Amino acid sequence: MQTDASTRRTGRLSREDQRRLGDILQRVYDDVVKQGVPDRFRHLLEELENRPEGEQMRSRGSALHGQGGPEGGSESDQVVEARGGINPSNKAPH
Amino acid sequence: MAMRTSVRDAMLAAVPSLRAFAISLSGNVDRADDLVQETLLRAMANINSFQPGTNMSAWLFTILRNLFRSEYRKRRREVEDTDGGYAESLKSHPEQHSRVEFEEFRTALAKLPPDQREALILVGASGFSYEEAAAICDCAVGTIKSRVNRARTRLSELLSIDGADDFGPDHTTRAILSAGGRG
Repeated sequence: MQTDASTRRTGRLSREDQRRLGDILQRVYDDVVKQGVPDRFRHLLEELENRPEGEQMRSRGSALHGQGGPEGGSESDQVVEARGGINPSNKAPH
Repeated sequence: MAMRTSVRDAMLAAVPSLRAFAISLSGNVDRADDLVQETLLRAMANINSFQPGTNMSAWLFTILRNLFRSEYRKRRREVEDTDGGYAESLKSHPEQHSRVEFEEFRTALAKLPPDQREALILVGASGFSYEEAAAICDCAVGTIKSRVNRARTRLSELLSIDGADDFGPDHTTRAILSAGGRG
């Protein structure tokens, strides 16, 4: 791939180069997306959906994950709640 | 608490993109799938904090990103496995892509600082707006824009998009044009 030498001098990419980079990035990404939903996640969600009321999902999660004990609740809450103001009207990503 | 089917469907719909994002973050398919699984479990355990009508996908991306960041801090000293990441993911999906181009790109992507890489992926591949990406990464919109720009510039350097400047036909063409007294 070639481009104008001025790109390097200014540190900004031309529109054409941005498009080329964007195309490759999208193809690499979509290559994974096209694999769809692996069975393990389909089964996992089905299992969770059929779970009897009141069962602790987090401890179940640790068991499924094959790792040590449940992590601290504070971290979990932090992970989940650290979302900014996502505007409901925003379009969903494809 | 039984999950509403619409919630499950929304989560399922987000899984392919979540995986692609996770692979780009971790550089490893197995770790990425573990991240996605943990994300779904966390999301389900905290489904009450999800506001219906808001962007489920953005919410899940936020959880996954935060999980990765906390895990990344724990594993900072480990050697990151960037080999076998995209390559592995492509094995099950043989298409007529330019494998060399993919490999080259994957390697360059892995060399970006994590902040820049995630910003570029969210905006350039996952389809989020700058505002949504900023919310996911918990930073200012201007910061996301700056990271995306730096990521693009760095990628182009790593991929030698400018490499033809000295050796390629572009240089030759320019030399000819300039010898022709243009301008």
